[in-house]
Amino acid sequence: MESLLRLEKICKTFPGVVANDHVDLEILPGEIHALLGENGAGKTTLMNCVYGVYRPDSGTIYWKGRPVEIHQARDAIALGIGMVHQHFMLVPPLTVAENIILGLPSPREPLLDLKSASRQIRELAQSYGLPIEPDVPVWQLPVGVQQRVEILKALYRQAELLILDEPTAVLTPGEVEELFKVLRAFKEKGLSIIFISHKLEEVMTISDRITVMRAGKVVDTLPASRTNPRELARMMVGREVFLHIEKPPCTPGEVVLELENVRAQSDRDLPALKGISLQVRAGEIVGIAGVDGNGQTELAEVIAGLRRVTEGRIRVLGKDITNCMPKDIIDLGVAFVPPDRQHMGLLLDFTVSENLIGKSFDRPPFSRYGFLQRRFIENFCDGAIRSCDIRTPHAQVPVKLLSGGNQQKVVLARELSLQPKLLVASQPTRGLDVGATEYIRRQMVEARSAGTAILLISTELDEVLSLSDRIAVIYEGEIMGIMSAAEADLQEIGLLMAGSRAHVATGTPQTA
Amino acid sequence: MLRLQESTNRWEILYRRFLERSFNILIPLGAILAAFVISSALIVARGANPLSAYAALFAGAFGSSNALANTVTRMVPIIMTGLAVTYGYRSGFFNIGAEGQLFMGAMATTWMGITLTGWPAWLLIPASLLAGALAGSLWALIPGYLKAKRGFNEVLTTLLLNYITIQLFEFLIRVDHAVGLGHPFLAWIGLKDPTQPFPKSAYITEAARMPSLTSLLTWLGGTAEDPAFQRFTLAAVVAVLAAVVIYILLFKTTTGYRARAVGVNPRAAQYMGINVVRTTITTALISGALAGMAGSLEIMGFQHRVIQNFLVGAGYDGIPVALIGQLNPLGVLLSALFFGALRAGANRMQIVSGAPVSIIYVIQSLAILFAIAGTVIDLRPRRLKQAEIEEAKRLEAELALQSSPATGTDILGEEARHV
Repeated sequence: MESLLRLEKICKTFPGVVANDHVDLEILPGEIHALLGENGAGKTTLMNCVYGVYRPDSGTIYWKGRPVEIHQARDAIALGIGMVHQHFMLVPPLTVAENIILGLPSPREPLLDLKSASRQIRELAQSYGLPIEPDVPVWQLPVGVQQRVEILKALYRQAELLILDEPTAVLTPGEVEELFKVLRAFKEKGLSIIFISHKLEEVMTISDRITVMRAGKVVDTLPASRTNPRELARMMVGREVFLHIEKPPCTPGEVVLELENVRAQSDRDLPALKGISLQVRAGEIVGIAGVDGNGQTELAEVIAGLRRVTEGRIRVLGKDITNCMPKDIIDLGVAFVPPDRQHMGLLLDFTVSENLIGKSFDRPPFSRYGFLQRRFIENFCDGAIRSCDIRTPHAQVPVKLLSGGNQQKVVLARELSLQPKLLVASQPTRGLDVGATEYIRRQMVEARSAGTAILLISTELDEVLSLSDRIAVIYEGEIMGIMSAAEADLQEIGLLMAGSRAHVATGTPQTA
Repeated sequence: MLRLQESTNRWEILYRRFLERSFNILIPLGAILAAFVISSALIVARGANPLSAYAALFAGAFGSSNALANTVTRMVPIIMTGLAVTYGYRSGFFNIGAEGQLFMGAMATTWMGITLTGWPAWLLIPASLLAGALAGSLWALIPGYLKAKRGFNEVLTTLLLNYITIQLFEFLIRVDHAVGLGHPFLAWIGLKDPTQPFPKSAYITEAARMPSLTSLLTWLGGTAEDPAFQRFTLAAVVAVLAAVVIYILLFKTTTGYRARAVGVNPRAAQYMGINVVRTTITTALISGALAGMAGSLEIMGFQHRVIQNFLVGAGYDGIPVALIGQLNPLGVLLSALFFGALRAGANRMQIVSGAPVSIIYVIQSLAILFAIAGTVIDLRPRRLKQAEIEEAKRLEAELALQSSPATGTDILGEEARHV
């Protein structure tokens, strides 16, 4: 059978990162093809190349056997490629019909022809089994239906190939069922679908063929019928060479952090944490492994007091901090390196110095009687810049002008200057170069030796493996298993991360 | 990859600091200059000589003690409202309601001055000023509370409150004022002078007025013949002091740190342990107090009573004053000087040169336009610019590599999508 889309040796690099490295991919007419891989494997970048969001540095795209140049999304749409992004590209106050015809020429230019558009949309929706009301404003629709609008948008533009970027990430289990039904109907009608995901079970359920990507490269493409979750997990995670970190043996002390059956909702008001129980002791690093979006953000935020706990208790050194103010939690000695230094960890428009005192500016000797003590602050910041090797000309530079690595050093310097009892580090090395990564990891090990309890939340498995004393795997807001790092089995972790409970971990969860 | 060249060269550091700081002054100065140059074309079109027009404008603003008094008088309220807008803006509270808060302040101060006529000056002056500040901040508390607790957009609430205030003002200056208990509440809070048929208040008592240069000289045993000296009052000193206090508050205190942090990024501020709700409310109170004091100072320093349309627009003028002042309290002083001088000198310019008064509004508007456009100009060394471009690219790469929506990374983006 002639392929619908064929990619040949696609390369795409960003400064410092190779996102796609000679990627080959073939999509057949009428197949559901899953693109599987960890975060940062290059799946989305590859699809953005197909959809014209990025230009590949080299390589060729063939559409129905002909080489094509796709410069912008418009070209891709003209060919018959539709993409549903993770973040929907909808205009909330406009109606479904208005969203769908947005950007298309109207048959009655310069006037809109909403009436006939509505009719057409209704017919189209009917024929694909996607019931929808075209005249309802999009903001009133639940997320699952909004996704349906995105899909209809592509179909209305006569897409033959539909790219769905992690379509299930935002859906409830019921909505996922619905979506799968619809995708199967598409397949019957001869449409091809590229389904980007990192969830093994889903991929096994829905796809005909599966392409696994890792670190920008294609590992393999195989039919779903001839593989199993275990094999996929191994291909996805790979056997990477860990950065070696010198780590003295772990001597855990008293329990510093204790979570008891903690539940919380996500921003979308869906259950994000479904009864998490966990302990972290002084002088140990507990790593939370898991694919992004399984409750890690929420877990860190409930501990820091930034998200409401709906059920359960959180204790720090025996003191109940459930739903306390962030300030009170900080004052108890809880430091937090947030996953997003740009939007949360730093005040980008503030200077390096102002950021370094961000959590201590209101206590002496940083301020007295409400006045900031400039001399002390300057000395403190110069010291921190020197000891943490923050590369900046002086402390009065806006922190946004620093490199990512140096920005993260500012965050870490600030958090460790509080001499915390507990450090929650979420994605501490995301997007950093090797040097900065190593520095940050070494600092964490040093803090551990000094008796700090550390909760490390990372989607980079090798980071969790090389730093942690114990490893907990999180999936859809639940801890799938806790094991000591020494006994950790890579395949086991890979399976748990993908939600497969085939093997329940036989670790030794330490209890108080 | 280093974004910024590390430099141990002290001189280079100093040069950069100079550039970073002076740039803030250069933009508005350049904008004002450009506004004058371009407006001169209009003056020529009117058949007048721009040089003589500007000379007359200058003379009308600074040429005599009378001219100077005019300029200072016009400066005081817009310094205060400019500060109100600056403090609010820096702290993420876009106070468009300075106009209304100013009227509230003026009413409260007037009420003190026509009611507490028995109080001595040393008590009545600070009390009247405080009453104005309180009235302004209570008025700003409504939008402040709604924003902090309920997420209402303060631009809308403050703006709408302005109309309510003006109507309240129009009403109260038509209700006869009665002093003493035993009167109906309405008569008690009414502001109209019962002896007059017009909608205006009685003059505030002598003890409630700001001392002037004349009274200072008399107290020192001298005499002041120049009647203009009566218009140089303590109100101007209070306004300048307020600018200095707000500068210190904003940049040297923990209160200011919290306010600016919330202004830059409320989510990060919350993460750092700052109580965003409390900070937003505090900001509204401070901003409102400044705007309220604008009304107080106008009453206590110059007009000594409220009449219809007694100071229309000074609240809104605070916005351009703050913007040209680069949202810096000390910059507000300079930009208020520019605005004040333009208005004070406008009449003389028209009489002497024939260039119409409306030219000053053209100058003013152009200056605002250029000042805003100027913030885009980048005079920094190329290396620094390069660093920002690289940073943007790196960010793009980082974003491209992230593939899940449920992370904290996109919290802002997601909120934006849901709005």
